[in-house]
Amino acid sequence: MTSIPRSVSALRLPPVLAGYLTALSRGLLALLLPLGLLLLWQLIAEQQWISPQLLPPPTQVLDSLLELYSSGELASNLGISLARVLWGFAAGSAAGLLLGVAMGLSPRVEAYLLPTFKAISLVPVIGWVPLFILFVGIEESLKVLVIAKAVMVPVAINAMKGIRNVPVGFFEVARLYRFSLWRTVRKVVLPAALPSLANGLRLGLSNAWMALVAVELLASSEGIGYLMVYGRQLFQLDLVMATMVVIGVVGLVLDQGLQLLERHLLTWRNSAY
Amino acid sequence: MSAIGTLSLKHLNKSYPVKGQPLSVLEDISLDIQPGEFISIVGSSGCGKSTLLRLLIGLEDQFDGEILLDGQPVKGPSLERGIVFQDHRLFPWLTVEQNVALALENSPLSEADKRDTIAQHIELVSLTGFEKAYPHQLSGGMSQRVAIARGLVNRPRILLLDEPFGALDALTRAHLQVELQRIWQAEGITTVLVTHDVDEAVFLGDRVVVMQPRPGRIKRIVPVPLPHPRVRGDVRLAALRDDILADFSDAPRETLIEQPAPLPQRFEDFVLAW
Repeated sequence: MTSIPRSVSALRLPPVLAGYLTALSRGLLALLLPLGLLLLWQLIAEQQWISPQLLPPPTQVLDSLLELYSSGELASNLGISLARVLWGFAAGSAAGLLLGVAMGLSPRVEAYLLPTFKAISLVPVIGWVPLFILFVGIEESLKVLVIAKAVMVPVAINAMKGIRNVPVGFFEVARLYRFSLWRTVRKVVLPAALPSLANGLRLGLSNAWMALVAVELLASSEGIGYLMVYGRQLFQLDLVMATMVVIGVVGLVLDQGLQLLERHLLTWRNSAY
Repeated sequence: MSAIGTLSLKHLNKSYPVKGQPLSVLEDISLDIQPGEFISIVGSSGCGKSTLLRLLIGLEDQFDGEILLDGQPVKGPSLERGIVFQDHRLFPWLTVEQNVALALENSPLSEADKRDTIAQHIELVSLTGFEKAYPHQLSGGMSQRVAIARGLVNRPRILLLDEPFGALDALTRAHLQVELQRIWQAEGITTVLVTHDVDEAVFLGDRVVVMQPRPGRIKRIVPVPLPHPRVRGDVRLAALRDDILADFSDAPRETLIEQPAPLPQRFEDFVLAW
C-alpha cells in the first residue's frame, strides 16, 4: 500500500503546470461534443443522407463564411448590428438601472411600478414589435427600442434585488456615521449591490444580442440577421448556417468578455460571500 | 484627559408593540457611568441588553426616560459615540484602511489628519501592515480589531461593544479581551460592554451590571475592585464570577420564543422626497 502514494507523488507535476493541464483538459472536454457533431454532419453530407441543398457540408459553410469575410460583407453587416446592440444596450441598461435602483430603494416606488413593470416584461420582445413598428417605423429606432426593452427588464430586476439584499447592518453603519441619502447610495448601496448589478448587465447583453437577431429577421435590410433572411430567401443554406456560426461566436465573445471584466473589477467578491 | 464621557440613564423604559399590545423589553433602567469607567452588562439572551445598547448608540429613539451623555440628551447616532457589533459589519469591497476611513466621512478633520489618525488607530489594534487587506483575507479576530479601530477613530466620548467577541473561538476571544483591556487603558475612554460571558464581564469591567429578562431590568450591580491590567487566573475574579453565576443558577424557563423584536426599518428611516 505504501508504495502507491510514493509512485503517485513521483509523477506529480509542478502545481502551475498541473493547473494549466486541468484547465486544458476541461477545455478539451467542452470541445468534444461540437467536434463529434461536426464529424457527424460531415458524414451525413458525404453520404448524401440529406440532400446538400438542405444540409450543405461543413466545408461549404466554411467557404461561404470566408467569402463573406473577404468580400467585406461580414464586417459591414456585423458592424451595423453591433452598433445597434451598443445603442440599445446603453439606453436599456440606463433605463433599467434607474428604474431598478429607484424600486430597490423605495418600497413606495416599487408599489407603484413593479406590477406594471412585470406585466410589460412578461410580453416577450417579439410581441412588442408590431406595436413598435406602428409607433416608430422600421428604421434604426425600432431596433434600438426593441433591444433596449430586452435589456431593461433583467437589468432593473437584478438591480432591485441586489439592493433589497444589502444587509440591514450595512444601512445601520451608514446611519451611525451620519451618511446622507446620496452618500449611502454611493458608498454602501451601489457597491454592495454591484455583483447583482453586473449579473443583470450580463443577462441584459445576452438578451440584447438575441433581440437584435430577432428584430433583424423581422424587419431589416442590413445587419447580421438580415444576412440570414437573405440566405434563406435565396435558399443558400450555407449562408444561413455561416451567419448562425457568426451569431453564436459573437454572442459568446460578448458574454465572456463581460464576465472577464466583471471578475477583474469585482475581485473582493471572490470569497467575500 | 477623560473628564468627558459621563453617561447617565434615568428611568429608561422601552417596549415594542406585539400583536397590538406593548411588550416591555426594558423596565426602569437607571445607571450612572463615570468618565473612563468600564461597565460590563451581562445577562441571558432576551434580557434586553442589546436593545439597551441600540438606545445608547441612537439607532432607536422611541423610549421613555432619559439618556444623557455629559448632560446632553442622546438623540440619534452621533460621531461622539462609537460602537462595535458582534458581526463586524466591515464592508467587503473596502480595504482595512478604507473601512476605518468610512467612519471619518463626516469628520471635520483635514485629509492629512485623517490619514494620521487612521494609521494611529490601525496601529492601536496591532494591525499595521494589513492596511491594504480586504475583509475576506482577515480572520474573525482581525476583523473585530478593524471594527474596534473604526469604532474609535472618531475619538468618541464613549465606546459601546455589543457582544464583540461572541462569534470568536475561545482562544482568540481570550486574546482579544486582553487586547481590549490594553486599548481601553491606552485611550482612557468610557466603555460599555454587553456580553453573555460572565468571565469576560468580570475580567474587563470596573462594575458588572447583572440583568434579568422579561422584562429586562437591572438585578444588581457588582463592583470589581481590582486594578487593571488584570491577570486572568486571579482568584478574586473567580470568586466574583461564581457569585454572579449563582444569579443565573435557576434553570431557564422553558418557553416558546416570543415574537422577536421587530427589526428596524431600513430605508423608511430616511426621509425620501419621491
